[in-house]
Amino acid sequence: MDTIIQTYQLKKTFKEEDIIKPLDFSLRKGEICALIGKNGAGKSTFFKMLAGQLMPTGGDIHLFGKSGKEMIHSKKRMGFMIETPEFFPDFTATQNLEYFRIQRGVIEKKRIYEVLQIVGLANQKKKRFKDYSMGMKQRLGIALCLLGSPDCLVLDEPINGLDAEGIIEIRNLLLRLNQEKQITILVSSHILTELQLLATRFVFIKNGVIVDDLSKENLNDKSKKQVQLKVDDAAKASRLLEQAYADIQYKVLPNHIITIQNHVEKGGEINRLLVDNGVLVMEFRMEALNLEEYFLGLVEGNEK
Amino acid sequence: MINYLKSENYRLLHKKGLHITSVICLVLIAAAAAVLYYSGQQDQNFPYATSLFFYSNVIGSGILIIIVAFLFNLALTGKDTSLIKQSVSFGVSRNTIFWSKLILTLSYFLAICAVGLLLMIGLGENLLASEEQSVRYFLSASINMFPIVISGFFIIHVLKMLRFGEVYIIITLLFIFIFSGDLLRMLLRPISGLNELYKYAPSTLLNENLMSFLNKAVQFDYHYWVTGIVISVFSLLIGARKFAKQNIN
Repeated sequence: MDTIIQTYQLKKTFKEEDIIKPLDFSLRKGEICALIGKNGAGKSTFFKMLAGQLMPTGGDIHLFGKSGKEMIHSKKRMGFMIETPEFFPDFTATQNLEYFRIQRGVIEKKRIYEVLQIVGLANQKKKRFKDYSMGMKQRLGIALCLLGSPDCLVLDEPINGLDAEGIIEIRNLLLRLNQEKQITILVSSHILTELQLLATRFVFIKNGVIVDDLSKENLNDKSKKQVQLKVDDAAKASRLLEQAYADIQYKVLPNHIITIQNHVEKGGEINRLLVDNGVLVMEFRMEALNLEEYFLGLVEGNEK
Repeated sequence: MINYLKSENYRLLHKKGLHITSVICLVLIAAAAAVLYYSGQQDQNFPYATSLFFYSNVIGSGILIIIVAFLFNLALTGKDTSLIKQSVSFGVSRNTIFWSKLILTLSYFLAICAVGLLLMIGLGENLLASEEQSVRYFLSASINMFPIVISGFFIIHVLKMLRFGEVYIIITLLFIFIFSGDLLRMLLRPISGLNELYKYAPSTLLNENLMSFLNKAVQFDYHYWVTGIVISVFSLLIGARKFAKQNIN
């Protein structure tokens, strides 16, 4: 079974508003797929439907090839952490994991200590959950996901609240789980630079629709270069660019900065065009986009 | 389901609030008996140092017992419901969650009711002046009360699982178990065929049960069971059905 998660025309409507428009998505074995979108784009709603917390308005979900009631068995092979993980505040980490160990039918009690060790909480196992920092809570959430030795992890903002050291640890942990234990991962985060270091595939979601789906290689190709100009009159420069190149893709950023995503090879020509028409070009740079900038170019900004 | 029941039982056993509530209930029963006994010892003419009066406090406190039921149900349906999302994610069905929480909290509630009942009889018969048939009257009245109280427990469970606020639940309980009889009598008086419906209202039945007990005329009556079963079945069916389709957010 190469496809772990498959959705067909999956849809969610709240109060007549389409949060997720009919959406086809598949996650293949071995991938680390990053789901990227602004707040309200539908990421968490999508994750919650996968987890069974929200009922889809339409469409179908298959997990490990199973759908409907049979999917319950597939979920035993998955670990979900959607938004902030919830635990009993008065229980210690060990007691909380013991509750879920019993519930999930994990036979070996020592698995609790193994997962606490993996997420770096072994020394904090006797501390009560309510006394945990946000980062520790996130780690315990990941420990819970790992408790049942899953084949696939679905993590919504797993590095939320972690310090820099914690972020690196969790990134390395996820990479290790993917590479050594072949665990497939679907992850979202607002820290896009982290996703760029982690993911092998990038799915961009906007207003409940997948607007782009790229492998790491494709993203590298697509985000190779852009021209960035700082001019004295951005409005005039925009007009000139539009007149000269009908299909030009650009956006105007604050401080009279213009970034141009296509016709990158004509950088010199663009520079001369602006200067000859009285626009002062104060800075001219050719640069590669990172994931954050690619994302902004895709879903935000003053794009043409 | 067995695994879920076991995990919830683990949770319950580690819950201090539940044990404290149980102890408080039993201590209050013992304290009431002690006060009556002490008053009877101090004043030979004190008329309430009897087991019948002692028992009547329970028979007349149907709504209070339902409030205690609320506290027991809350042990697994209060803040703990925020963990349901994780259980659902890991493949536990909503039906399993709904019924498991009900079975466990109800079991604990019934256990404490049984202990309370035995404690009352023990104290009533040994400390207070007892009449020949007082235990039989008490048990008969308790059996009549049982389906009504349990139906209250089911209503509480359903409303908690459907995430109704605690204030709304209390108002609903007061309406059903205190005011329903009078309201039905007033509203349905002009409607032929329905004007007798108030006799089946929980509040009417609880009052009747108390009066029969005080008049030493109490006996098993199927009306209590009809009302209790109708309320229980309806509330559980609607609750389980709605919970199975509910978003857990």
